[in-house]
Amino acid sequence: MARVSLDKISVEYPIYNAGAFSLRNNLVAIGTGGRISAEARHIKSVMALEDVTLELNDGDRLGLVGHNGSGKSTLLRTIAGIYQPVRGSVEVEGRVSTVFGLGAGLQPELSGYDNIIRMSMMLGATRAQAEAAIPDIEDFSELGNFLAMPVRTYSAGMSMRLNFAVATASYPEILLVDEIFGAGDAEFQVKAQKRMNEFVEKASIFILASHSEQLIKKFTNNTVQLRHGRIM
Amino acid sequence: MPGDIKDLYRQVSLAWYFALSDTYARYKHSVLGPFWLVLSTLIGIGGIAFIWGTLMAADSETFVPSLGIGLVLWQMISGSVSGAAKLFVFQATVIKNIKTPSWRLSLQLLFQQIINFAHNLVLVILLYAIFPHTLSPLILLAIPGFVLVLLNLYWVVQLLGFLGARYRDFDPLVTAVMPLLFFMSPVLFRGHELGSRAFLMKLNPMSYWINIIREPMLGSVPHFSDYLVSIAMVIVGSALAMWVTRAKSHRLAYWV
Ligand SMILES: Nc1ncnc2c1ncn2[C@@H]1O[C@H](COP(=O)(O)OP(=O)(O)O)[C@@H](O)[C@H]1O
Ligand SMILES: [Mg+2]
Repeated sequence: MARVSLDKISVEYPIYNAGAFSLRNNLVAIGTGGRISAEARHIKSVMALEDVTLELNDGDRLGLVGHNGSGKSTLLRTIAGIYQPVRGSVEVEGRVSTVFGLGAGLQPELSGYDNIIRMSMMLGATRAQAEAAIPDIEDFSELGNFLAMPVRTYSAGMSMRLNFAVATASYPEILLVDEIFGAGDAEFQVKAQKRMNEFVEKASIFILASHSEQLIKKFTNNTVQLRHGRIM
Repeated sequence: MPGDIKDLYRQVSLAWYFALSDTYARYKHSVLGPFWLVLSTLIGIGGIAFIWGTLMAADSETFVPSLGIGLVLWQMISGSVSGAAKLFVFQATVIKNIKTPSWRLSLQLLFQQIINFAHNLVLVILLYAIFPHTLSPLILLAIPGFVLVLLNLYWVVQLLGFLGARYRDFDPLVTAVMPLLFFMSPVLFRGHELGSRAFLMKLNPMSYWINIIREPMLGSVPHFSDYLVSIAMVIVGSALAMWVTRAKSHRLAYWV
């Protein structure tokens, strides 16, 4: 049983100016009894999500739509536990997998094979699970002998194929995807969508943030529109 | 709970795998890989032994092993401390995209330093081969000392990691202070050789760490007080690091 439950959450990004990031300025602020501090440390913040309530259960496929800066990425990262809300509560049951910030853990000097292990483990696999996923990743990425070469020799499209193959190699219960169908040639796009299909089918809960109406229509059965951090 | 233990095991093996795999990457990058570090330590030992030996007319039979082991330990200590303040900022992409416990990133830095230290052991073996009289069964006493130092380094890395993420001028500050701490450490001297200025060393936490590993390796028993201070630092420091981690973990992704 997977479940995602957000209760009136608000997420704020603090905007530290250079002064607030400086130890020296903060010490000066203490030394001057805080007189300068108000100015030197003034911390503004951007309200990225406000009063967002969301309840998702097994079988839910949710599309997140909204303009740039409306809070889609922030919402996904909050569900993934990366950002904590300043107000409200987040409850998530089930193993979460994220398809964003692809390539975390990539070490360009090492081969594709080494990086499959690194990235898979970074995404939550054990060493054994990572090894077991290799044939499938070989198959999907079609990188052939390149997998034995250092990743720094790959083109952007080849890296994309590797990263995507790794990210979609294990089936999570809760799958969060943020705008990934940008890179790669047309042929890869088709392949990626096909793989995405299987991936989404096996997940209990799926959330996709995208600008593409076609993708939203294809993969989701419900949409939420965000505007300035609020659900419309 | 078995689930928690499984996750702990996964995080620790992840840190270890990444430390090892980063080391392989350094070998791929240049044939010598981490042995560059060994080479630079070797040059350091040679250079200082020569200059200091002439200046202070030190007895090389006792001075060179003490200096050599001291420098090897210094590499590990200063490597951990200097790497700590920029650790979380360097790992920003990971922290912002994958839910990552900060303690795992600190552990990875510590593992990396242990791997470097293992490379540097070549020099220690070389020193024992040249100065065999230095080696004694007391060396076994270096093991608990080593464990104590690692525990200390761990909380230091975690704490400095948070400070460095929150205050960006903290890292240059650490870099600026390290040479000072080096001269306040017993690497170039052993405590009893300093006379009235020995108190300077006592102000430096790292002096205690070097003593509890190096003294047994040189065939003598460390002062009881060196152990006491090191243990006290582990307790107080870990408590502090845990408190900061508890209080500020949820802010880390916003800082980096
Ligand atoms: N790291 C950050 N620091 C400060 N503000 C941010 C950061 N990331 C996003 N924001 C702000 O939060 C709001 C929501 O951004 P985001 O979640 O990325 O929107 P979307 O994914 O819908 O384009 C925007 O106003 C953006 O400027
Ligand atoms: Mg976005």
